[in-house]
Amino acid sequence: MSNLSMLLDGFGHALTPMNLLMAAIGVLVGTFVGVLPGLGPTSSIAILLPVTAVLEPTQAIIMLAGIYYGAMYGGSTTAILLNIPGEASSVPTCLDGYPLAQQGRGGPALGIAAIASFIAGVLGVLGLVLFAPVLASQALRFGPPEMFAVLLLTLVIMMGMTGGRFVKSAVMGLAGIALSLIGLGANSGMYRFTLGWGPLEGGLDMVSILIGLFSIAEVMRGISEKKTAISAGNIGSVYPGRKDLKQSASSIAAGGLIGFFMGLLPGCSAAVTSFLSYDFAKRISRRRHLFGKGAIEGVAAPEAANNATSSAGFIPLFALGIPSSPPLAVLLAGLMIYGLTPGPMLFEQKGSFVWTVIASMFIGNVMLLVLNLPLVGIWAKLTRVPFSILAPVILLLSMVGAYTVRNNLFDVQVAVVFGIAGYFLQKHDWPIMPLILCFILGPLMEQSFLQSMAISGGSLGIFFQRGLSVAFIIAAAAMLIFSLYMVRRTKKRICEERGDSLSIVNAEA
Amino acid sequence: MTTLNKKLSRLLPLSLALLFLISGCGTNSAKSGAGASAGAGGETAVPAASQAASASSAYADYPNRPIEYVVPFSAGGGVDLVARTVVEGLSKEWGQPIEIVNKPGAGGATGAQYALKQAANDGYTVLADNVASTTMLQAGSAAAPLLLSDHEFAARVVTDAPVFVVAADAPWKDFREFSDWAKANPEKLTWTSVGPAGFSTFAVAEWLKAIGADFSKTRMVATKGASESLPLVAGGNAVLAVHTVNETSTLVKAGKLKVLAILAPERSPYYPDVPTTAEQGVEGLSVSWWTGMSFPKGTPQEIVKKWEDGVSKLSQDPDFIEKLKKLQLDPNVLTGQEFTDFVNKEAEYYTGLATQTGIRK
Repeated sequence: MSNLSMLLDGFGHALTPMNLLMAAIGVLVGTFVGVLPGLGPTSSIAILLPVTAVLEPTQAIIMLAGIYYGAMYGGSTTAILLNIPGEASSVPTCLDGYPLAQQGRGGPALGIAAIASFIAGVLGVLGLVLFAPVLASQALRFGPPEMFAVLLLTLVIMMGMTGGRFVKSAVMGLAGIALSLIGLGANSGMYRFTLGWGPLEGGLDMVSILIGLFSIAEVMRGISEKKTAISAGNIGSVYPGRKDLKQSASSIAAGGLIGFFMGLLPGCSAAVTSFLSYDFAKRISRRRHLFGKGAIEGVAAPEAANNATSSAGFIPLFALGIPSSPPLAVLLAGLMIYGLTPGPMLFEQKGSFVWTVIASMFIGNVMLLVLNLPLVGIWAKLTRVPFSILAPVILLLSMVGAYTVRNNLFDVQVAVVFGIAGYFLQKHDWPIMPLILCFILGPLMEQSFLQSMAISGGSLGIFFQRGLSVAFIIAAAAMLIFSLYMVRRTKKRICEERGDSLSIVNAEA
Repeated sequence: MTTLNKKLSRLLPLSLALLFLISGCGTNSAKSGAGASAGAGGETAVPAASQAASASSAYADYPNRPIEYVVPFSAGGGVDLVARTVVEGLSKEWGQPIEIVNKPGAGGATGAQYALKQAANDGYTVLADNVASTTMLQAGSAAAPLLLSDHEFAARVVTDAPVFVVAADAPWKDFREFSDWAKANPEKLTWTSVGPAGFSTFAVAEWLKAIGADFSKTRMVATKGASESLPLVAGGNAVLAVHTVNETSTLVKAGKLKVLAILAPERSPYYPDVPTTAEQGVEGLSVSWWTGMSFPKGTPQEIVKKWEDGVSKLSQDPDFIEKLKKLQLDPNVLTGQEFTDFVNKEAEYYTGLATQTGIRK
């Protein structure tokens, strides 16, 4: 239990006024940046890395960790109030958050998001303390075949999620994979599908596509519907009722666990875990029909997962120096700049530093709750702004966001093209989600498949020779059969109660 | 009231224009002043006779606005970390901010194309180069997106040696034994690389050629870089990874990886117990990693020279050396013609190697 005494020692250091200030600034700046569409945690950490250079290493890392958490939460705020996911991991939050906001229950949705984030974040940090040394050694065992099997499972679950439109969602999913292949082939080093056109050689970026399909398409729809204001009017109290909490409890627990354990795996980003836990919450819920129409647990699950993943990612990062997601890779850069090379040696040599940072994560999570719940009102006011003012602002932020991805005007063009495409896709009822998910996961899937083939010398047997991988594949097959059965059932249900919905995402479920 | 508003609105642009003029004059006078004082301080003569004297004084106060330093790889990699260290020193020295911009993609080609072909050649866009985005890129493909001739090479900052690492529990006790095994079982050898013309590919190809093993029978496991490939080796999913000292240090210290050999003329101070490849009977290996900076063609020579001198001066700075040490790197500066010659020689060698081993497509 020396870990615990180290942690208490860390709290002693983290609770100095200066470090508290750093955590507060980090969380606030992070939330603010996260609220801007397209400026995800990665870009905000990267942008602020030079800014923190004037600080002491401990203070700088505390601030960066705060930015990381804040940005994750900021993404959920815009997702709920405006249907604009700031990054991929808050896409599932839109599914139920936005309908809730439209029903005037944006307040409780934001409150639940904050509470779910907080609980899962704290769970994640607790896990970090207990399992850091143990889990890090297991992360290495998780090789390409296991990764491929997990992705297969994720995609199958997604297929089952889109309800009755199996063929449509399969087509969109394949389109997503096709789009993700544009650019330099990982294995061959050859350009693919670039049509001989220079800008395509770098491939399409996920963030610009997200910005296009969500925010730009949203603005276009607003214009076509002559929208007066985005908000559904009343936000309601920020504090969720007892009923909301009760309904969300199991989702928060499940989301937190899924997010944490999946987050330990290298390459398993918050986007993956938030989708997984949304689907899982939907599966276990007694109110499945409400999902996509404003189920509070549909907000709680992905938010919990995404924060638990953020915390869990620190385990392979600190213990082995393996960044499991892009923002953590930038954070690793920050650590290296301060001469803190991660690894078990870090725990031995710079023990007090590591535990101070871990303690400040606790504090950061508390700050997130304390700062963001009262501030929710300010964010919520955004929705009262007339659409004619908001639309150009959203467009401007979208353009800026798309540009900052790679500081490249091409990404802005991509966002515009996808905005127009997204508008028409929604209009004709083609689900967007499979396209996005497959676009994100397609390259990972391809790479883990090719890696597996390289390792096994081209034999598919490798997927069935390992316990973990077999378990995932069996689960995927079971899910596929189950969802085919569910599709038949859902089709009937949809025929019964298909209402005209205004939100993209309502068309999802 | 309204008339007043109208008047004001007319006055506003006028006054703004005036302000601009005044400030413009201000900077101009400041410029000429700076130029004059620099001239008095004995600034180096302009090499190109064609350049007018007025032009030379225009460069004398370079840099007079922020510089964009393009890193064609993602944040946190070796190139990026060195770039940040260099930028910190030079921006202090020159009193101008130098901003790092990461433009990763296509093995460094995306960022390099931006910095060398789309940006102005006025010295305010600099490219952080490395071996993979220059000589290996040109050697690896007959249709490379960028050639050495697109660069105006300024300075090499550091070099780093590749090390051969296997899982900590791998059966080979040294590099000699491992080489014999690879020669006997090339079809069992899996190694990681960012791509068919990546840094590790060249190191593996050179080694296999030297020991007479069949490169074409071995299998590459493509990864995004060291952060992905080293865990694969540590977890027993691939046999071999070849990365630099800087990149491997974390997992080696953690006891997850075993270093078999270092590909360098002598041992590294950071891995004093690891014998070189030559010590273990594999002669004639030369692949090494370096990073530096280059400019688009046609950038004024004076500006390039300023960077060369800046980096040379920086490499003597104890604070800079200390910062690099933390990254397990040491400065190894080459500038001007020597650097260009070094790059050309390296490209020639790699093209030959790539052609012989079938890397070059």
